[in-house]
Amino acid sequence: MDLRKLKKLIDLVQESGIAELEVTEGEEKVRIARTTAGSAQVYMPQAPMPMAATPTAGPAPAASAPAPLEPAGHTLKAPMVGTFYRSPSPGSPSFVEIGQSVTKGQTLCIIEAMKLLNEIESDMAGTVKAILVENGQPVEYGQPLFVIE
Amino acid sequence: MPRKSTTASANIRDAGASGSLTFRLLRELAAGGFHSGTVLAEKLGVSRSAISAALKNVEACFGIPLFRVPKKGYKLPEPIEFLDLALIASHLGKETAARIKLDLREEATSTNTLLLDRAHIAANGTVVIAEHQTAGRGRLGRAWQSSLGGGLTFSVLWRFPGGASSLAGLSLAVAVAVLRGLKAARVPGVEVKWPNDLISGFRKVGGILIETQGDMLGPSTAVIGIGLNFRLPDDVKDMIDQPVADLVSLAPNASRNRVFAEVLKALVAALEQFEREGFMPFRTEWEAAHAYQGRPVRVQRPGEPEMAGEVEGVAGDGALLVRMGLIVQRLSSAEISLRLPKT
Repeated sequence: MDLRKLKKLIDLVQESGIAELEVTEGEEKVRIARTTAGSAQVYMPQAPMPMAATPTAGPAPAASAPAPLEPAGHTLKAPMVGTFYRSPSPGSPSFVEIGQSVTKGQTLCIIEAMKLLNEIESDMAGTVKAILVENGQPVEYGQPLFVIE
Repeated sequence: MPRKSTTASANIRDAGASGSLTFRLLRELAAGGFHSGTVLAEKLGVSRSAISAALKNVEACFGIPLFRVPKKGYKLPEPIEFLDLALIASHLGKETAARIKLDLREEATSTNTLLLDRAHIAANGTVVIAEHQTAGRGRLGRAWQSSLGGGLTFSVLWRFPGGASSLAGLSLAVAVAVLRGLKAARVPGVEVKWPNDLISGFRKVGGILIETQGDMLGPSTAVIGIGLNFRLPDDVKDMIDQPVADLVSLAPNASRNRVFAEVLKALVAALEQFEREGFMPFRTEWEAAHAYQGRPVRVQRPGEPEMAGEVEGVAGDGALLVRMGLIVQRLSSAEISLRLPKT
């Protein structure tokens, strides 16, 4: 997905007032979420993304119809503000990796706020399709963390 | 919510009586003075070589140097006040004892890990205290150092009807509870550092680590780990990578059993209060005990450049409020340090 298109999508999200937009084109996926301040944030999953030489134009986002696109999978959102950790302690293996299948109730990550370490559990069984936040990064309430399919 | 109540004696379990030979010997030595191998052997009904073997690795395992003097016997450099269930129960009082289930252990890798592993089966109010922790944990896998009898390290399992987000501020409320308990045990001079370090003269006296499990919408289970430096030998102080202080330097006559019982009592009351009313009733008390209140600080947030500001206080959910110029920032994840005026 080229930068102009990304910019256009961000503008679309900002103008339309929708909270979140996810676009999937082949193996590429982009999710744009609006924060309260009104600025758009872009999360790109860190999956290998072979860029198509000529990107097939998806359905042109019609400005008149700002209905959010159907997400490719179920999105698990941050239930709280804090710092996102993928493993129980530095140096230990991550709770989950992309492509791994998880059960309902399985711990996916820890969100730490004020020395309270919250084990965040998967709310469904499936396969981890994307991990949308990097280890050690701050997350906002409602920010998408994982895509599970 | 009424808690299941049983008698204090039924709730309190002692692992000490049937403990290992090493612990039985250390209990004999606890009061201080020399104890000859022959007398110890007779008293405990074991051979002298068994005693020698049982005490062989005391230094390495427990961080206490043991004196061995020919013809005089064994002696601890300083007396150890072992945890004593009868003493703890007398300070706790029946009301608190009825709300908890106390599990006293000689050794544990980490009391938090132990309780987390048993989180789905353990009763509400289960308390695990270990005389000695071999793999105590701080935040993010940092090690918690202590020597046998030199610390108070325990964890409490508590179930809350709400989800993870309802526990905002719990971390700070627990710090207030510890201060209340220390005050009741007549240990003065302990303050807090956001979010919940226990400090004295800007040196660390104790720490709190809370780990939660459960559905986002509730109910959730919190394992609250508390570590207090009771008496730190100098060599343990040297192993710790930050300025530390211990409770006996603040209150030379402090009793380890009493401090534990008073802190636990205050904690149980605070958890019940938090469950009903959240962090708000703790807020003023927390701010009054904050050593950094109104002070210039450096703020380090994960993945961001360092910032300078002045501590305003805490929000209703426990987030730190730092004034930066005209803006007051709310921080829920950050490290703060004092910004000393340039002289």
